[in-house]
Formats: sequence, C-alpha cells, structure tokens
Amino acid sequence: MKARRAFDPVLLLAAPALAYMALVFALPVLILIIGSFKGPGGPTTAAYTAFLSDAFNWRVIGNTLRVAALTSLVCLVLGYPTAVALARSRGAVQAGLLIAIILPLSVGVIVKAFAWQIVLRRDGIVSAVLVATGVWDAPQLMLFTEPGLVIGAANVFLPFMILPIYSVLKLIDPNLQASAATLGAPPLYRFFKLALPMAMPGIISGAAIVFSLSAAMYVIPTLLIGDRFQTLATLTARAFLLMRNEQLGSTTATILLVLAVSIVMLSARLVRAAGDSR
Amino acid sequence: MADLLLPHMNRRAFLAGSAALSAGLAAPAILRAQTKELVVGAASSQKTWSEEIMIPAFEKKHGVKVIFEGTRSLVNLEKMQKNKGSQYLSVVQMDDPVMIIAVAEGLLDPITAARVPSSASLKPGVTHMDGMWVNYLQPWVGIAYNKEKVPTAPTSWTEIFDPKYKGRIILPSLQNTEGVLNLFTAAHLKTGKPMADAQLDLDAGFAKMAELKPNVLMSYTQEGQAYNLLEQGEAYMVMGAISSVALARKSKGAPIELAAPREGTFSMPSGIALVKGGPQPELAAAYIDMLLSPEIQQKVAQATFSLPTNGTVAAPAGLADLKIHPVNWAEVSKNRAAWVSRWDRELSL
Repeated sequence: MKARRAFDPVLLLAAPALAYMALVFALPVLILIIGSFKGPGGPTTAAYTAFLSDAFNWRVIGNTLRVAALTSLVCLVLGYPTAVALARSRGAVQAGLLIAIILPLSVGVIVKAFAWQIVLRRDGIVSAVLVATGVWDAPQLMLFTEPGLVIGAANVFLPFMILPIYSVLKLIDPNLQASAATLGAPPLYRFFKLALPMAMPGIISGAAIVFSLSAAMYVIPTLLIGDRFQTLATLTARAFLLMRNEQLGSTTATILLVLAVSIVMLSARLVRAAGDSR
Repeated sequence: MADLLLPHMNRRAFLAGSAALSAGLAAPAILRAQTKELVVGAASSQKTWSEEIMIPAFEKKHGVKVIFEGTRSLVNLEKMQKNKGSQYLSVVQMDDPVMIIAVAEGLLDPITAARVPSSASLKPGVTHMDGMWVNYLQPWVGIAYNKEKVPTAPTSWTEIFDPKYKGRIILPSLQNTEGVLNLFTAAHLKTGKPMADAQLDLDAGFAKMAELKPNVLMSYTQEGQAYNLLEQGEAYMVMGAISSVALARKSKGAPIELAAPREGTFSMPSGIALVKGGPQPELAAAYIDMLLSPEIQQKVAQATFSLPTNGTVAAPAGLADLKIHPVNWAEVSKNRAAWVSRWDRELSL
C-alpha cells in the first residue's frame, strides 16, 4: 500500500536560507521589477516600449547574449575534459587539480582583470606566442576586443563549469566505458551515446551558472573592454549610478533577468528533450 | 539629472556619501551651536590639501575649529536642501553644475568684494552668476603622454588625431566630466570656432571624435586603469588628462608628462560658495577670503598641480600662457544624458 505523502519535517531545514533569500533577494528583485513598470499615472510598460524600440539597445542585448554564450562555450570546451580528468584521477593528483581549480576563485576579479590587461596587450605573452608560432604576422592587441573579453571572462568563470560536471562524473561507474568497449562500441559512439548523456545534468547546470554569471558581469567588461562596449549590465549600472534613472535601470535589469532565466531554462529543456529522443 | 554632473562616481563613493549624508542630517544642530566652529561641506578628494594647508592656517588665525565634511557635491546639495532654514554648513565646495541648482533653489549667498576682499583679485571667468560661487582653483585638462613613446611634447590637440597613433590613444568616458570637455575641444578643432562658441556645436564635436576612432585604444571610467596603460607603454597618450591626477602620478616617478596644448583648454569643476543662512557668516566669508588669498592660493595650487584663480598669483612654470576657456555648465547639465547616449552610438566599438 502506498503511504500518504505527509509533510517531511526535514524540509524545514531549508527555512532559514529561504527566509534569508526571500528578504535579501526575492523582495528587492520584486521591488526592482515593480519599479520598471511605474509611471506618472499608474502602471505602464512605457519604459520597455521606449527601450526596445531603439535599435541600438538591441545591439546591446546582442552584445550581452553573444558574450555570455561564447564564454559558456569556451568554458565548456575547456571544462569538460578537465572534469573528466578530475573524476578519473586519484590521490595527490586529484587534490592538486582541485586546488588548481578552486584556488583561483580566491583571487579577486579586479586583480584578474588587471593581470589580463598585461597578458593581452600588444607586447604581452599571448601576442608573443602567436607571433612566434607563426599564427600572427605581427603583434596584435587582444585587449579591449570582444575575443579578449571572452577569454578573460572564461578564465574567471571556468571553475563554475568544471565543478558541476565533475560532481556528476564522479558518481558514474568508470567500468561502464570499459563494458561498452568490450561489447564493441566504438569510441565516438561511446562518447555521444554514453559519456555525454550521463554528464548532461552537470553540463546543463555548469552552463546555466556560467551563462547567467557572464550575462550579468559588470566589472570584467568595464576593465577588459571599456566604455565603448555596452551590455545590459553596464547600462543598468550607469542608469543607477550616473544618471540616477531608476526606471531605466530597473527596466534593463528586468530585461536581463528575464532573458537569462528564459534562455537557461529553454536550453536545459531542449537538451533534455534531445536526450530523451535518443 | 543633477547626478549626471558628478565626476568619478563609483559605488563606494556613493555609499560613503549616503552614510555621511545620514550622519550629517541626524546630527542635532544644537550641539554645534555653542562652540565656535565652522563646518565646510566639500568633497573627499579635497581633504588632503584642506587639512594640510588651508584648515591649519585658518584655525590658527581665527582661533576656531573647522569641521571638514568630505563627501560629494550632490550630498552637500541635499544637506542644504534638507536643512533649509536651519543650515549647519557655512561654506560649500561643490562642482559648478551642482552650484547652478543650489543657486536656483536659493541656497547660496553671493560672494562680494565687501565680504570677501580677495575675491576682487580673481581672474576673469572664475566668478559665476554675479558671485553666487567662485572657482578657488583650476585643475586643467591636457594631453598626458608616455615620455618614452612620445619623446617630443605634443603642442596641439590635433596631434592626437595623427594616424601614427593608431590604437594608442585613451579617452575618458563621457560619464567622466573630463570626457565632456574633450567634446568641446573636438568641436573647436572641427569648426575652428572659438572654444566658447564651439561648445554649442556638439554635432561637430561628435563628428570630430568619430574621426578619432581608429586611434582609440579604449575609453575609461576608472582613471587608474588609464594611467596604468599609459605608464606601461600600451597607450601613448590620454586626451583630457586632469592635471591634479596626471602630475601627481608624475611626481611619484611615473614616466609620463602632461602637455598644455596651444589652443588652450578647460578646467575641472571646483566651486566654493557661502551657504545662505549658514552659521558664523563672518567666519565663512573669512574662510573663502583666505582660500583665495595669494599665500594660500600659491600653496594649494602647487600641492594640487592646478592653476591659481587669484590673478595676482603667478601660474606654475611653463603655464603662464595656458588659456583656460570657460565652460557653459548650465548647457552641460541640461544635455549630459543625451550626450552620453549619443556617445554610446557614435563611439562604440
């Protein structure tokens, strides 16, 4: 006989954190969203109409989403193999890898951005290596360009991709791969039909975290690309801090929130649907 | 709108300002009334020279205590607005555009030669709206350049536009006040009109700045980053570098120099005014009188790498011929938001 689904008192353990987040996050976000609909004569969507009817602002939205997508992609390409290696390694090697991934989180974003300023400049090491290996004919500037921004942002957010994938991979029985190989599955088949689908929950959460963080980042673009490249986050900061235009700031912040949340949810659903159809 | 006028705005300054504001508003006026003291509302960036040069000299001469409240222009304005009728500030130092608002709201008393004798020796162009406020200093903007990369000092703003500096020029963002001044310079270069008239032809200013795009390395909001790039040699020049910032770094050993272009330039906002209805009006007038006096002007100008505004004080060596053109701050405060938005569109990557 099936037991009645009673309230599990263990759930109460989440109450302090929920109450805290409701007070310091949900409530302010609600106030922010309400602020974006405030008009002189009652609620209005005028701020959204005005913002979205300006072609330049669509470029800003494009900048935001493109940089966030590229950053997530770079993190995935670099992070997935790292997570595999991390899950496969044991003992001191694993400890060393974990420290190498987690320790950079303790270095502030501003310090990292200033370091990238040295690495990416014309006489910096990236340019020197690319010229020495013949990829570039002459030293070039990566700093204050979109690729430079993506590289810098991927550096900051990489651990947020590796760790969720790793936490999923480490639960997978390593013998599965060997069994599949024994049964005659070729390497590519094993990767697409076995390894990738099993890692997918980790990839989805890693990509969701990195995408959201890089869509909302403010300090990194300010320092690595400057004022000539606006994103929704930099427009929001400027509206509040410089123009004190709270309506504009809450409008851009809400648009950013809605876009980031819906893209993350939609892509997760698409990936899951693709996984189920296989 | 008024908030647009504040240069170097950042979150920390904003928070510090808000904290100072609430502390200031909460302080009961009665506590201050009995002792002989003078409260000066100013900016945090003016604290060093105020506390090292101006305040000791004033306290010694008049036997009073000066309380220096360093915050931001707009917070000072709010303090005056909230305390109208029972002011506790006697003197305010604020950015010129914020002064315009304070005048409109009737918060200031005019500075007259009768009350402030040394104001009679001020240079032309530094007394505003019939003495409602005056400029006590002129930190000027010029071309900061890396001495190794640019061995000969630039003599004209036009040099920044030379194609040989492709990707080597740094501009301040239009969010920074010095960035707005560059637009005026550009309008002058494009039209050949005098700087005063060119300020009103911003179409020309934007068109000229767009010509500079190939040369622009980046546009900064945080000046520390700009000077870092200049000192490392990644950037060769900063257009619209503020004297008090660039020369302070040079004096600490940075391999940079600041050139004063022959077309002349502008000065950054630096106003001082008497608070209407503020306590100790005689002392307040005496404070401004002393700050404008030749002796203090000499010392403060030297310490801040700025030009004195007292006409009897000689400009620092090499700057005697530097022309400082007046800025139409009313026009700036009216149009700043529109200019920032236009800058996004026309100067973006």
